[in-house]
Amino acid sequence: MTAVLTRVGLALGLPVVLVAVWWFASAGSTDFFFPPLRTIVEVFGPTWFGERLVDDVLPSLGRLAAGYAAALVLGVGLGVLIGSNRWVRAVTEPVLEFLRAIPPPVLVPVLMLVAGIGNGMKILVIISGCVWPILLNTVAGVRAVDGVLEDTCRTYRIRGTLRWRHLVLRSASPQIVTGARQALSVGIILMVISEMFAASSGLGFTVIQFKDGFQIPEMWSGVILLGLLGVLLSMLFRVVEHQVLSWYHGSRTAQKER
Amino acid sequence: MRRHLAALLLAPALLATAACGSDEGQSPNAGEADKVTVGVIPILDVAPIYLGVEKGFFEKRNIDVTLEQAEGGAAIVPAVVSGQYQFGFSNIVSLLLAHSEGLPVKMVSNGNNSTGVDGEDFAALMVSADSPIETAADLEGRTVAANTLQNIVDTAVRASVRKAGGDPTKVKFTALPFPEQPAALASGQVDAVFVVEPFQQAVLGQGGRTIASSYVDTAPNLTVASYFTSQRILSENPELVKRFTQAMQESLSYANGHPDEARAIIGSYTNIARDVVARVTLPKWPAEVNRDSVQRVADLALEDGLLKEPAKVGDLLP
Repeated sequence: MTAVLTRVGLALGLPVVLVAVWWFASAGSTDFFFPPLRTIVEVFGPTWFGERLVDDVLPSLGRLAAGYAAALVLGVGLGVLIGSNRWVRAVTEPVLEFLRAIPPPVLVPVLMLVAGIGNGMKILVIISGCVWPILLNTVAGVRAVDGVLEDTCRTYRIRGTLRWRHLVLRSASPQIVTGARQALSVGIILMVISEMFAASSGLGFTVIQFKDGFQIPEMWSGVILLGLLGVLLSMLFRVVEHQVLSWYHGSRTAQKER
Repeated sequence: MRRHLAALLLAPALLATAACGSDEGQSPNAGEADKVTVGVIPILDVAPIYLGVEKGFFEKRNIDVTLEQAEGGAAIVPAVVSGQYQFGFSNIVSLLLAHSEGLPVKMVSNGNNSTGVDGEDFAALMVSADSPIETAADLEGRTVAANTLQNIVDTAVRASVRKAGGDPTKVKFTALPFPEQPAALASGQVDAVFVVEPFQQAVLGQGGRTIASSYVDTAPNLTVASYFTSQRILSENPELVKRFTQAMQESLSYANGHPDEARAIIGSYTNIARDVVARVTLPKWPAEVNRDSVQRVADLALEDGLLKEPAKVGDLLP
């Protein structure tokens, strides 16, 4: 019980201190562009918990979910293919390194020509950034399949779907999850960026509109909302990760205890 | 766009400096020329100030002008208020919004006006050749591209829709930079665009049709943009502001009277091809702000819900 309290205390300690510092340092601020935190907090509710939740926040999250899911399927699928075949790997690796080095924001104008300015373009932008950490981690994970396990599978003639599911994907899953975690934060960034181009709804769009309309406290509240969403999504991710990788964490703990 | 991004990314770092205000102002030195930086947008509209600097209208009033190019009025306003620039150029809706939110801005000179001639303005609401849209009223339920939202562009487009008997609240706007609008229109991604020169020529070149001259529909001889400063500069150095205004007025009148020289200078600070510069429709550059038109725009902005309460236009005007 005390251990749990300590952990919660440690996790919340710094944020509480930072918020307090911000609150008091900005309390008397008359600077137009850095309003007191109190003002920002006051506008937060009215700004976001109304029409905007449906008109802007949900579309943003929808596009993020779609892009992220597509990147997961694409990344894991291609990753398994590339990772398990030496020739494919040799051919694709230089290209992959090149592609992943391109910052997705510069692709936006290009994607706009190909996919227009609607949701498709925004989802493509998210995919174009999220897919790389997943893909490359999957490749690494698939390559690092334990040799003894592989031999065992072969000995028992475990082949096809069974082998993919229980040997390849299973042993690559810790790496895949690592990639997926990186991709999530990339996805949030790209969700915002994609909405700064040719948008008419979304969180990034709304924040820019507040800036252009000189509604600075509202703009800050959007920035804070994005941060909170990031925290929420990473907590959600941790829950999912716990489910998916329970066998892995279990085996690690068992090894340590030995 | 990069600027927006940078603003978001830098926000936490800037927070640390929130408590300390900026103290760098311009201290007037007797005898020496006053150094001022003016934030402008690299478009046709600001030709007079480039011409005025070249002609020495500022120098002879002891002002040493540096022109800094920025993305739009909404980006220039913060720079002027923070003292980074002493003067700036902005469309009047951004100024009205800034003023209504409590930013201490003050117009000091006219910027540019519409030609006042329907169908022959430097900006136009346009559709593609095969579009079924005939008038601005047909834009109900359609998507219009505007370079940024909440500025003079969407206000003017709504004015056209209203004038044509349509419901402006039913028009959807998408923020799209001017250079990308002709392609977006051609490929049908948007139903209409509101473009200024030289992009008007680009849309005409691909067969586009003008359905309204929105700046003309907004108000007769509309003042589209103006030069402005901050209340601090105004109270600390009213005499400098006065000289700047005089130099601007001379520049505006000169540019208005010498369109060929204006065209020549446009070629120097933009990348517009020479033959296009020769073709474009120039804005008008009267020396005085059209006060009635600013009031009209303020009324429209209130009607559109951009402004939450009636603007104190008198406080903003020079």
